[in-house]
Amino acid sequence: MVQTKKLNFIVVDDSKLDCFIAEKIIRNTGISESIKSFLQATEALEYIKSIAPGEHQRTIMLVDIQMPVMNGFEFVEAFEKLPKDVTDNYTIYIISSSINENDLVRVHTYATVKQFLNKPLTSNNLAVLLA
Amino acid sequence: MDTPKKIKVLYIDDEQNNLNGFKATFRFDYTVLIASNISQAYAHLEAHPDISVILCDQRMPDKTGVQFFEEMRDTYDEPVRMLITGYTDIESVIDAVNRGHIFRYIKKPWTDSDIRSAIEEASKFYLTNSMLVQKNKELQSAYDELGKFAYSVTHDVRGPLLSILGALDLAKNMENPAELRDILEMMEDAIHKLDEYIKNTHEYYKLKRGLLQFEVIDFNNLVKDIAALFRIAGRMDNIRFISNVVQNDEFLSDEISIKMVLNNLLSNAFNYQRKDATDKYVDVSITVADNVATITVKDNGIGIHESHINNIFTMFYRATSEETGSGLGLYNVKDALTKLSGTIEVASVVNEGTTFKVIIPGKAHGTN
Repeated sequence: MVQTKKLNFIVVDDSKLDCFIAEKIIRNTGISESIKSFLQATEALEYIKSIAPGEHQRTIMLVDIQMPVMNGFEFVEAFEKLPKDVTDNYTIYIISSSINENDLVRVHTYATVKQFLNKPLTSNNLAVLLA
Repeated sequence: MDTPKKIKVLYIDDEQNNLNGFKATFRFDYTVLIASNISQAYAHLEAHPDISVILCDQRMPDKTGVQFFEEMRDTYDEPVRMLITGYTDIESVIDAVNRGHIFRYIKKPWTDSDIRSAIEEASKFYLTNSMLVQKNKELQSAYDELGKFAYSVTHDVRGPLLSILGALDLAKNMENPAELRDILEMMEDAIHKLDEYIKNTHEYYKLKRGLLQFEVIDFNNLVKDIAALFRIAGRMDNIRFISNVVQNDEFLSDEISIKMVLNNLLSNAFNYQRKDATDKYVDVSITVADNVATITVKDNGIGIHESHINNIFTMFYRATSEETGSGLGLYNVKDALTKLSGTIEVASVVNEGTTFKVIIPGKAHGTN
């Protein structure tokens, strides 16, 4: 397979271990240009806002649901308020340990969220979604 | 021991003589309130939410007794309603009984024993009903909490488990020993987090179902014991621990609750420190005076933002992703203090620290 362009990744998860796992798995794919992890959703949002217009790269975001202060849904809602030429650069995957039906249904109500993934992230399911 | 509370009875009749006679006859056995018209009756109902029995004459100038009962039960549905009436009104009475507006009717002219037995019956009915209402409230709140628990279990129990699973999967293909050690340490943290959740759940259950057991509390020993545990666990490393206990009088309270309160407040104080700070401290001071214990736990840690401070005692609320909070600790603290008729206040400045002040009244000596 010819790798066309490398991808950027953002991981938003309040669990240090889950961020670590995600980073490792992403790095092992060899297709990552950059990986940034945030333990707080607010910080991830600030980071995206801090990027100058036109400087946004194609980025895949893995976002947890249950997080203190700002949860995954609140994060996505705040993200979707950003200008379209910003949000267009990002693909969001919600990744959670939740087996709550309401959470699963809610995931599909957001235009910027591509898919729901069950934890734990493994190299296999990451490979599937990047294919 | 308390004497059993007198039954509170409201009697409504447009004839003042009847009111006076009624009050004179029953005032020793019951707390009797009288009203000669509907608006007076409403004033009593408003001022005395503990009225358990209402007796009302059927024939009154502005409204019949049945009409009054029909309209008042929307607002005051707890008191048991009884109608006093002559035979001539029997049709409307039967109708009212069938529609559930009144519990019983007493026919005129009544005897003391008619009234007495009716009030006793009505009061029993009232007590059973209020107990049912109370139990229903408790049941509802238990259901609500169960719902929260069920939801939190997926995150707080399943979360760390899945993290560990994910880490194990990664570790299988890891060859670098340093990397492996890192991931093992993180797995250990995840297990501690899970364990803490389980311990907190157990405490929650103990508090909810357990009865308070009052015994003599020695705050000096209590603080020493708890501090020793923190020290052994390495939680005090690089943190100055200051404790100051002034207790000259005996203090009676529930030791399990007090331990839990101290343990949670100290645990938070040790946990939520600023990582880069040089002079970290946790300061606990306890004074017992006039049978009131005042506990202050102060730290110079990360602090709590004012937008979160009103929610910190809410079940499963977490104001930070730092450290391994379960969202149950301060909820349990508040719950325990409520049971002990105590209070808790918090003052906090972000990046400067947090101070919790707890006030607990001691159990009066010689009471049970």
